[in-house]
Amino acid sequence: MNGTFRSVSLVWVVLSGCLFFSSRRTSVCAAPICTNGKAGCHVLSLANLFDRVIQHSARIHGISSDLHSEFEQYFLPSKNQIGRVGRICHTSTIITPNGKENAQRMARGELTEVILKLLVAWRDPLWHFHQSMAHHHDFNNFSSNKALEMNDMVHELRQGVEKVAEKMQVQGIISNSVSSLASPEDLLPSDSVEWQLMKDYVLLYCFRRDSNKVQNYLKILKCRIVPDHGC
Amino acid sequence: MMKNVMEVLFLLMLLFTVHAKEKSYNPPEKPALTRCRSPEKETFTCWWEPGSDGGLPTTYALYYRKENSETVYECPDYHTAGENSCFFNKNDTSIWVNYNISVVAANALGRAFSDPVDIDVVYIVKPNPPEKLKVAVMEDKGWPFLRVSWEPPHKADTRSGWITLIYELRVRLEEEDDWEMHLAGQQKMFNIFSLRSGGKYLVEVRCKPDHGFWSEWSSTSYINVPDYFPREKSMWILVAAFSAFIFLILTWLLHMNTHRLKHCILPPVPGPKIKGFDKQLLKNGKSDEFFSALVVPNFPEASPSKYEDMLVVEFFEVKEQELMLEESNDLLDGGLKYESSRSDSDSGRGSCDSHTLLLDKCREAKEERQTNRDGSLIEKQIRQKDRKEEAISPDISSGRVKTWPSLYSPLPQYGSNPLDKQSSLEMAKQHSLSISSFLTQPGTKDALGLSYMDFCLSNKQNHVHPQTQVQTRSNVNISNIGHKHAPAGLHSPTTQYVEVQRVNKEDMVLLQPVLSRCGLIEDCPHLPKGEDYSKVKGVDYDNRLLLQREGTGEDMCSGMDQETNGERGNCYTTSTVSIMQKPTACIYTVMPIQEGMALTLNGYVDTANMGNLPSC
Repeated sequence: MNGTFRSVSLVWVVLSGCLFFSSRRTSVCAAPICTNGKAGCHVLSLANLFDRVIQHSARIHGISSDLHSEFEQYFLPSKNQIGRVGRICHTSTIITPNGKENAQRMARGELTEVILKLLVAWRDPLWHFHQSMAHHHDFNNFSSNKALEMNDMVHELRQGVEKVAEKMQVQGIISNSVSSLASPEDLLPSDSVEWQLMKDYVLLYCFRRDSNKVQNYLKILKCRIVPDHGC
Repeated sequence: MMKNVMEVLFLLMLLFTVHAKEKSYNPPEKPALTRCRSPEKETFTCWWEPGSDGGLPTTYALYYRKENSETVYECPDYHTAGENSCFFNKNDTSIWVNYNISVVAANALGRAFSDPVDIDVVYIVKPNPPEKLKVAVMEDKGWPFLRVSWEPPHKADTRSGWITLIYELRVRLEEEDDWEMHLAGQQKMFNIFSLRSGGKYLVEVRCKPDHGFWSEWSSTSYINVPDYFPREKSMWILVAAFSAFIFLILTWLLHMNTHRLKHCILPPVPGPKIKGFDKQLLKNGKSDEFFSALVVPNFPEASPSKYEDMLVVEFFEVKEQELMLEESNDLLDGGLKYESSRSDSDSGRGSCDSHTLLLDKCREAKEERQTNRDGSLIEKQIRQKDRKEEAISPDISSGRVKTWPSLYSPLPQYGSNPLDKQSSLEMAKQHSLSISSFLTQPGTKDALGLSYMDFCLSNKQNHVHPQTQVQTRSNVNISNIGHKHAPAGLHSPTTQYVEVQRVNKEDMVLLQPVLSRCGLIEDCPHLPKGEDYSKVKGVDYDNRLLLQREGTGEDMCSGMDQETNGERGNCYTTSTVSIMQKPTACIYTVMPIQEGMALTLNGYVDTANMGNLPSC
């Protein structure tokens, strides 16, 4: 009896320890990036990082497209009416390249900065949008889940892009001035109340476009910086 | 003449003006923008569909506004993209900017504005088809496959990451119609396996940006796959080897099972199966021995397994009351039902069960029975024997049979009410099937004096159904038909004894009264009591006599004229009853009992005037 009791308790301890450590591992904080290629440490190349963030941004754009088409389908706002009112996105103050040449002409650091600005600018509006969706019950659960997912993913993408920027700075690709703009407060326009006035449909329209911009800019960056495959 | 010419001219002018007025001119109809497309996300083109021009030369103009700006611009290029189109070059194209475009049609009489269209160039990208499609046959461990490669359209800039394209290709054999689709993703090369040897393939490819439209299919590429499999020779060799192998196996199987097959295909001729048949004796030619061997010592069998034997030894005792009918069932539905025409199998049922017989009689009997319960041992014995369902070996020698088992428990009930002989007689007459025999009870004063005892042994169970129990009950309907009231003072059991002498060859049961020994009619002594006698309780409505063992009452037989047999008189009553195949064909002899004859008796079967002989 004593022997079995001991063995059982030992097993329990081991299990709980494993669970504890594994939970620690899957926390939001990612594993630290290895520096200087230490032995036994898996180093992510810049190309891999770029691939990951590009995939992420593609997924975000997909979700936003779905939500936008759903909104259009169910609520069918008159296009003319919106056209006349004008879709004023709150991010219109951020200057973004509107064509290929403009984007290619832009410096890498600048482009990275634009990406980060966009991602930061959408953090709060998306959160509020998710809240309003949950309360309205106009959408089904699937849509509200998408809104929440969008919110989380934008947050994660921003962190990923920051990591990429960090890595690029380490590798000397971009100047160090970019990282100094990481603080979100500096990036937000002063009259941040504008986005609160946006209706849901306009918000989705704007966000769909901005997510496309982010994805495109990341691809341009990647093909400029690591042009080996996929470009 | 001048006047005429003037008139003609005037008329002509009128005609012209009228004609001119019929052909009216209108302002132009509203044009419609059909589509806008961008091949590389750097330029785009819009096409429109003009309406009717109203008969006048009409011009079309395209105007657009950019997002959040009120400035209206006109289309920079109407010609590059063809008729009714507007081409926006790189300088005029802004991505991620909303364009509000409309077309105006104008002629001398007016203008028409089309519905405006909002577009964002990002979402209207339809690239050109991929270029430089190459297909080659390559080999992989002796098996060929196709390697397809292509280039993106030259206008789409995928190198800088501005556009991301995904590709799809399709393949088919020349002689077939269905394409085989393959999605290739972002790669520009694809391998196709599982080719048909010697086939000719067609390959096409197309592309699509990640958010946009599929391009058109590229030009077809043809490829011939060489014969990598010499099909004619090798296949036949394989087939031959395989079939030889199968053949060997089959012959081996056949060899193993020759005997069984022989037996199956050519079955042996069966020999004679006669008991005692000895081939050797026959061959030896000694007929005496041979035939003597055939003689079976115990033939014919005396065992009572055959039902005729059972018939032989049956006693009949007709008793007035009880005749326990265990199942008084539904027959007695409202009076007598003369339904001789109704087909009725009548198997396993007493006469009271039959729809065609004597229902009132049965009811009467039932009432009688209920009033006169007699729990005699003999009855019980009979009942027990009923249930046993086996034949008791008859005691032929004595001429009497111990109580015979009536093999079917539902015994008909019939009271023997002598009052209703008339009606019963009528009934019997009427009824073709009936073997209604009822015995007059002592004490009844029958005016008619005719009562019939006719019974017909049930012929249900005959040779045709050997396995069924022999229905050896003869039912004698004693009850009076039609009378439903219980006879008042007729409680004395009136039983008459009949015994089955034997069954002759024509399936006729020869009956004889039990009181044959009594000699005289009127002062017949009591029947010896005991087990030798069985009383007929009654006649079932399907012609079965129900026996019963009972103590005797006054057994007097009213000897009358004899019946057919011509034996010594008195109480002999022999009646021949034939067992036939069908109840309708039952022939029975009716023995009318004379008036005062059996009234005092307790149910003797009497030979009386054979008056009516109702036929079955």
